[in-house]
Amino acid sequence: MMCNEWEAQLNEYVDGTLAAEARALVEAHLAGCAGCRAAVVELRALVASAADLPKRIEPARDLWTGIAARVGKREVRNGKRWWRTALAAAATIVIGFALYRLLPPSAVHHRSEGTGWVAVQAEYEQASDELTRALATERDRLAPATVALLERNLAVIDAALRESRDALARDPENVELRGLVASVAREKVELLRWATRVAT
Amino acid sequence: MQADSSDLIQRAQQGDQAAFEALYRAHVGRVYALCLRLTADRARAEELTQDAFVRAWERLASFRGESAFSSWLYRLTVNVVFLGQRAGQRRALRVFTTEDPAAFERPGDAASTVAGQLDLERAIAALPPGAREVFVLHDVEGYRHHEIAQLNGIAVGTSKAQLFRARRLLREALSK
Repeated sequence: MMCNEWEAQLNEYVDGTLAAEARALVEAHLAGCAGCRAAVVELRALVASAADLPKRIEPARDLWTGIAARVGKREVRNGKRWWRTALAAAATIVIGFALYRLLPPSAVHHRSEGTGWVAVQAEYEQASDELTRALATERDRLAPATVALLERNLAVIDAALRESRDALARDPENVELRGLVASVAREKVELLRWATRVAT
Repeated sequence: MQADSSDLIQRAQQGDQAAFEALYRAHVGRVYALCLRLTADRARAEELTQDAFVRAWERLASFRGESAFSSWLYRLTVNVVFLGQRAGQRRALRVFTTEDPAAFERPGDAASTVAGQLDLERAIAALPPGAREVFVLHDVEGYRHHEIAQLNGIAVGTSKAQLFRARRLLREALSK
């Protein structure tokens, strides 16, 4: 029978965590106490048995299905992110091509024919809308202050785009105005691209 | 083996679910054993094992390789168990007792070894939760008191007191 008042010291003795002086006191007690010597033997056997327990126990059923269903949701979301990233990249290519066709003749190797102007505008609108929608679904991931700043900047760019388009509508063959529209459009695309990339 | 494991981890971090399943297969036995011994409840242990792997999947990006993946995963598992227990106080406490002895059975072990280990497993499962958690982490898993205190949100002295209590109760149970 262990002496109750020695329980903590005997446990620490078995664990090897006593300082030398305390250990010597325990050993002096053990020399004269059969009950505590027996307790130390039992404690050592218990600690050894616990350490010897198998570290692995296989579950009775396969748990992977439930895990896969839950991690699959994130994978689907990753897929959406991949899709949005690809969309952003594709939109950039579309806009880049459109801007190439919009640039004034001095800035490109070949003269813009101007015959694809309607198509260029449609491509730009579609890509810009898709990027805007992609950003709208992920805007919660951005800090509120960033969203506010982003919206202010987009409002400024949209206003500039409207004005330059209106001016170009009044003078469709004006190469400088076409360059201005291209420049503002590029600003909007770059801002949307940045925001989409950060948000996703 | 290490290279294979690193490759699996890297692929899983990039969203490769097949690589993550391979990691699951490699570690599920250890994670489930930990959950089962900490909770003494087979159904709860299964839930927590799934929670731990889902959490690991979500946190994989934060694994930088400073420690072994297994250490990272098992520590995350202990956190999941303790968080689950704190959050689930409203849930009725289902304590494992000997009416569910099959939970710890391991086919293929020698009969005498199984008998002795099953007695110990059952006695551990019948411990009060606080004593059981500390005993499992310290004497079965090899955690130190300061680590247990940190993981479980208790003082080092409390961890020691729970361990000594657990050992006393186990000695009594096994001597009957």
